[in-house]
Amino acid sequence: MMNRRAAVRTLLYIAGGTLVLPACFRESGKASIDLTNLSISEDNEQLLAELTETLIPATDTPGGKELLLHLFVLKMVDDCHTPEEQEQFTKGLSAFSDWSKQELGNEFVVADADSRTGLLGKIGESTDEDIKQFFSITKRRAIQGYLNSQYVMTNLVKYELVPGRYNGYAQV
Amino acid sequence: MANLAIDSIKERTFDAIVIGSGASGSWAAKEFTEKGLKTLLLERGRNVEHVKDYPTTNLYPYEFEHRLEMPYEDKQKNPIANRCYNYREDSKHFFVKDDEHPYIQVKDFDWIRGYQVGGKSLLWARQVQRWSDFDFEGPARDGFSVDWPIRYKDIAPWYSYVERFVGVSGNNDGIPELPDGEHLPAFPLNAVEDHFSKSVAKHYKNRHVISARCAHLSKPNPIHIEQGRVQCQNRVLCQRGCPFGGYYSANAVTIPWAQKTGNLTLRPHSVVHSILYDETKGKATGVKVIDANTKEEMEFFAKVIFVNASALNTNLILLNSVSNRFPQGLGNDNGLMGKYVAFHNYTATIGAEYDGLLQYRTDGRNPAGGGYIPRFRNVYRQETDFLRGWAAGFGAGRAEIRDTSGVGSALKDGMLNAKLGTWRVHSHMMAETIPKEDNFVSLDANQKDAWGIPLLRISIDYDENDRKMRQDYYEQMTEMYEKAGFTNIQTRDDNRRPGNDIHEMGGVRMGHDPKTSLLNKWHQLHACQNVFVTDGACMTSTSTQNPTLTYMAFTARAANYAMDEMKKGNL
Repeated sequence: MMNRRAAVRTLLYIAGGTLVLPACFRESGKASIDLTNLSISEDNEQLLAELTETLIPATDTPGGKELLLHLFVLKMVDDCHTPEEQEQFTKGLSAFSDWSKQELGNEFVVADADSRTGLLGKIGESTDEDIKQFFSITKRRAIQGYLNSQYVMTNLVKYELVPGRYNGYAQV
Repeated sequence: MANLAIDSIKERTFDAIVIGSGASGSWAAKEFTEKGLKTLLLERGRNVEHVKDYPTTNLYPYEFEHRLEMPYEDKQKNPIANRCYNYREDSKHFFVKDDEHPYIQVKDFDWIRGYQVGGKSLLWARQVQRWSDFDFEGPARDGFSVDWPIRYKDIAPWYSYVERFVGVSGNNDGIPELPDGEHLPAFPLNAVEDHFSKSVAKHYKNRHVISARCAHLSKPNPIHIEQGRVQCQNRVLCQRGCPFGGYYSANAVTIPWAQKTGNLTLRPHSVVHSILYDETKGKATGVKVIDANTKEEMEFFAKVIFVNASALNTNLILLNSVSNRFPQGLGNDNGLMGKYVAFHNYTATIGAEYDGLLQYRTDGRNPAGGGYIPRFRNVYRQETDFLRGWAAGFGAGRAEIRDTSGVGSALKDGMLNAKLGTWRVHSHMMAETIPKEDNFVSLDANQKDAWGIPLLRISIDYDENDRKMRQDYYEQMTEMYEKAGFTNIQTRDDNRRPGNDIHEMGGVRMGHDPKTSLLNKWHQLHACQNVFVTDGACMTSTSTQNPTLTYMAFTARAANYAMDEMKKGNL
């Protein structure tokens, strides 16, 4: 059997594709990727998926969910942030879940797109530092994951591995 | 049994032994093997074969688990390596990790090392400039260190020899303090770099902004094609190893060249413990090696030994080569070995903006990085209250600005519809430091590494001259920026530690007099003439040039001298 972590890593590499995580990777109630430091419930993972989709929605090109940006956010927070930031992220995610329920009168994941977008516009008004920090990390990492995804780098903002040229006087 | 032992010694006997397989060591190996000498090239790290062992070289950013960012745990475990600008997810396998090879920081010192075949030639910044007599005459004129025993005329033909082989892109700018060379076409300055160059030329007599000279093949010659290399493809992913051989590395150029002769024995995983000295013969007979993996001890023998282990490790090996004759280290009769270590002060940068020339942008990538400002301070005469001077890098570019302030489709639009920003310019200082007796390395009396070799103690720091020079860099560059119409000028002290410049030099300096130096003008230890040092350890002073070209030229010159002397029966 393929090593689960390696398989997930492969998925993350190709997070620009249209892959949906196979159910067999999922242990009931837990996050769908191996995390070393973070403890994220299945519900909160779904919330994060909807949040990145709200940040970067599918239009005529893929959005956060299809590009698995929520998994990228989790991977980066798990591996590249300090323990303090990780704690703030986890606390902020739960706090965001509660706060959004209050504000929307409903779960974030079932709310319509306009209400969700409107809610994210109000994050600045929140007095909860954890929510603000969580949102700031999530947004920054989602943007990074989006611009560095295979889909965007090969279709929208093309990355050249081998430019083969340099012109210091290119006309604008 | 006796015959077996003799056979074994025979198998371990070579004409020449070279310790270290980086830029300078591989040049020694190339020179020896090309002229028919059976040569043993020792490398303490693993083998890295050109192309085959560049695992990240063709990966796209999205193929890196953390998109090139170093994880938190790695930063905690390897703070020294992580402070190097070049240590990233695509290059980390070419760096020494902090805990694998400890050393003792008497004062803060970032010792950046690459223990593998090719050494740091896979990671270097590839900037190559010749020294002039303004540099070689510096210590004698300004009264520090000791007089260099050579002058530009001694090394000039060897600069040419090395440049032709490795390929150097640059202009012949006709500047006495930065001699012209055997150059391939330069990577031209871009619109704003050019503007700055013209402005500086207009306002100052002896200041120049030129295309940076770099060891890249802008237009390969037949010799480079013969090496199996092709034109640089402007990837600027050099730290991964280049599948095109677009820049000079030992792995792409000198080592395969030496291997083709059939005269090279390359032995990775070979930690050199010390150099063996025979008192009756009055010379070195070989080296004691510890296999990095098995820890097995073995000896190899040769008529000539070149020490190219990288500046501080060369000091370490020589200091650890003790005998009855040399109780303080091989050739260290005067007790100066390990002292007068110097480096380059890289602690200052200066950025600004420019609103003009907005009809232009850059397209593609420039492997040379932009412009180079040769040292102009104190060149023709002493004119400041500090000694020597600084050179500087200079580059300009326009960023693509993506509006990420919104959420939803506004954010998506903002990210995908970048606006071209105004020009931003950037410069970094590369300043000479003055070698001093109290900037030194030595061996710890008690602590040893996993191979039983004493740990190196490093005690090196900046001084008042360095701080004055940094202030001068800020002032002069600000003035030059203002004259060019740059705005929002920001100076920055980046607080980097000594060593982070990765230009550590000296400790086994050259000189005329055995009382005050360790090496003669041919890089031989005064007191043990079949041992040569041609890496950074030999440096009497540092000047401001990136040093690798000079090490390569020194090595080619010394190796050919050694072969002449062997022919004459003198070694």
